[in-house]
Amino acid sequence: MALGLLAWWSLPVASSAPNRIVPGDAVYAWQVAGPAMAVLASLPMALAGWVARQPDPGWRSLGLVLLALLGLPLWLVLCVHQLVDPQLPQARLGIGAGSWCTLFVLLLALLDLRTRQRWPAGLYIACLCVPLVVTALCLPLGLDRLALWQEYRGRADDFWLAVGEHLLLVGATVALSLALGAALALLMRRLPALQRAGFGVLNFMQTIPSLALFGLLLGPLAWAAQRFPWLDQLGISGIGWAPALVALVTYSLLPMVRNTFVALEGVDRGVIEAARGMGMSRGQMFWQVRLPLALPVLLEGVRITTVQAIGLTAVAALIGAGGLGRFIFQGLGQAAMDLVLLGALPILVMAMLADGVLGNLSRRLGRGVTR
Amino acid sequence: MIELIHITKRFDHTVAVDDVSLKIDGGEFCCLVGTSGCGKSTTLKMINRLIEHSEGEIHIDQKPIRSFREDVLRRRIGYAIQSTGLFPHWTVARNIGLVPRLLKWPKSRIDTRVEELMSLLGLSMADYADKYPDQLSGGQAQRVGVARALAADPDILLMDEPFGALDPITRETLQLELRDLQARLGKTIVFVTHDMDEALRLADRLVVMHEGRIVQQGHPLQLLREPANDFVASLLGGEDRGLKEAALLPVSERMVPLGAGGVARERIDQTASLREALSVMLWRRVERLAVVDDDDIPIGELNFRRLVGARVND
Ligand SMILES: Nc1ncnc2c1ncn2[C@@H]1O[C@H](COP(=O)(O)OP(=O)(O)O)[C@@H](O)[C@H]1O
Ligand SMILES: [Mg+2]
Repeated sequence: MALGLLAWWSLPVASSAPNRIVPGDAVYAWQVAGPAMAVLASLPMALAGWVARQPDPGWRSLGLVLLALLGLPLWLVLCVHQLVDPQLPQARLGIGAGSWCTLFVLLLALLDLRTRQRWPAGLYIACLCVPLVVTALCLPLGLDRLALWQEYRGRADDFWLAVGEHLLLVGATVALSLALGAALALLMRRLPALQRAGFGVLNFMQTIPSLALFGLLLGPLAWAAQRFPWLDQLGISGIGWAPALVALVTYSLLPMVRNTFVALEGVDRGVIEAARGMGMSRGQMFWQVRLPLALPVLLEGVRITTVQAIGLTAVAALIGAGGLGRFIFQGLGQAAMDLVLLGALPILVMAMLADGVLGNLSRRLGRGVTR
Repeated sequence: MIELIHITKRFDHTVAVDDVSLKIDGGEFCCLVGTSGCGKSTTLKMINRLIEHSEGEIHIDQKPIRSFREDVLRRRIGYAIQSTGLFPHWTVARNIGLVPRLLKWPKSRIDTRVEELMSLLGLSMADYADKYPDQLSGGQAQRVGVARALAADPDILLMDEPFGALDPITRETLQLELRDLQARLGKTIVFVTHDMDEALRLADRLVVMHEGRIVQQGHPLQLLREPANDFVASLLGGEDRGLKEAALLPVSERMVPLGAGGVARERIDQTASLREALSVMLWRRVERLAVVDDDDIPIGELNFRRLVGARVND
């Protein structure tokens, strides 16, 4: 909390610019509407920090954090009204480092509360949703002047297309690497000779920098597309989604195979011996005993793979695979940081969502298994 | 009836079991004992083909075990192990019903059978049927393991140190219950252990193994009295063998009719062992005990000279 306050007072909370190209002028908290307003706005956060030190923070702490979270969009509305010239249609407000840090600290506080208080998960999800809804409601009140929103409005269709591409690529990667990884892991269990070689190759591939791998695939695939025109017609060539998918699957294979293998091998020997001794057939043992007991660790592999693929897909935009990475690289090229954010923020949200949902699923199953 | 005929098992170059021949009659309680690594588990697992024997033949009821399909054979033979091997993701009831389910019994029959077995092993249906293995104590889990092994009512039960991980008191309770169960159900049991007291308490036939071979087999009392060599003697307890033998004999065996000297003050039940009688004498510092029946009525007398087995007229 102290950190949040420090950021609030020491870093610019916002920047305002007359249009997209000009870098904005940094604005500090007390410059928005006078020091009094800034103190008022930081009050919930300060209180939350103070309450957290009390013996039983509990509900009061949650309430204050929530209040601060709700206050943030309202504060931005205030910024817009104070700083952005309504006469200029292109004028915009960038969200400053101070505000981002504050948001970050507030989210951390929420996370911290979550580990200390055993409230139902739904409560925390609600706590995250409420500020989002308020932000959406504030849009007509002036938040539409936020640079981020302006960037979005300019390419709304394109944005959703990119989200779709991104999800599709990640989905295909996870599905393919799950199928391939499971097959490979099963094969390795059957043929111990393959184990060392297999893991060696996979480990090696993991160490190739992603950009280099994308580059390496350009040549062979372009050549293949030239050789076999039907490949070209399918959209497979040196650039685009095909090499991206190949590279993504290559990276995903190691965590997938490793977790699947470890999961299947890790099942208690006594349980397997008993299953065999009771007269279960190979198939019955696999489906009724080994797989269910391996599932939590296996899902852990899916989680790692998914989160990793969401991030790597951004890089894949470099070879024309599409996805949200496009905005990041466009933004970088045009030095438009808000465009970068437009690409990066949804990736962050996706990764956190995938992490949370899959992690939860794995834990829930794990509870059933280790009971 | 189980018959091992000149059985040898080799793992690569080590010989785990070396030319073992053994005949276990129906309804017999056979204990395999010996130091760790002597081939007890290997011998046991060859009977249900968890391990394939390298040489020789194993017959069950006159038929070679290789004439059955592996899983069919195993479903006919109960199997219980030290780690219980209960499936952690299944409830107690589902664990017990495993083999009947594999045999495709109708559901109602499985349910009745599970209930029957749980009451047989002293597990209340209401308290335990829906529990998961990790919610059980070691003793309860092992009861479930035994119930699961008995589920499809097999004639033969193979047990590999099933009580090895339990505390002494729970272990003794389960030993007595198993002994009881076997007497009632008439199962053929092959039981591996390295706990000599356990083996002596349970076995009709005691098989002593050493380095993959059978050194001696027979009734526990016979082995105690006439050990084939020093190894068997020391394995059976060395100088402690007298006490171990006394533990196997009931007081009624050495009791004499009530004498003229009046009824002794200290009493002992006629079903108690001679070892317990000796302990009472030592503790109470007396040489005579009154032997009583179930209703606590004196029916005879045990004196020190008789207890140690000295002839009456010496
Ligand atoms: N799967 C195996 N592969 C190789 N050697 C084995 C295997 N199982 C058992 N052995 C060896 O066979 C011998 C007998 O083992 P075992 O029957 O388990 O002894 P125990 O009497 O303690 O149960 C030991 O020397 C052990 O190392
Ligand atoms: Mg063993």
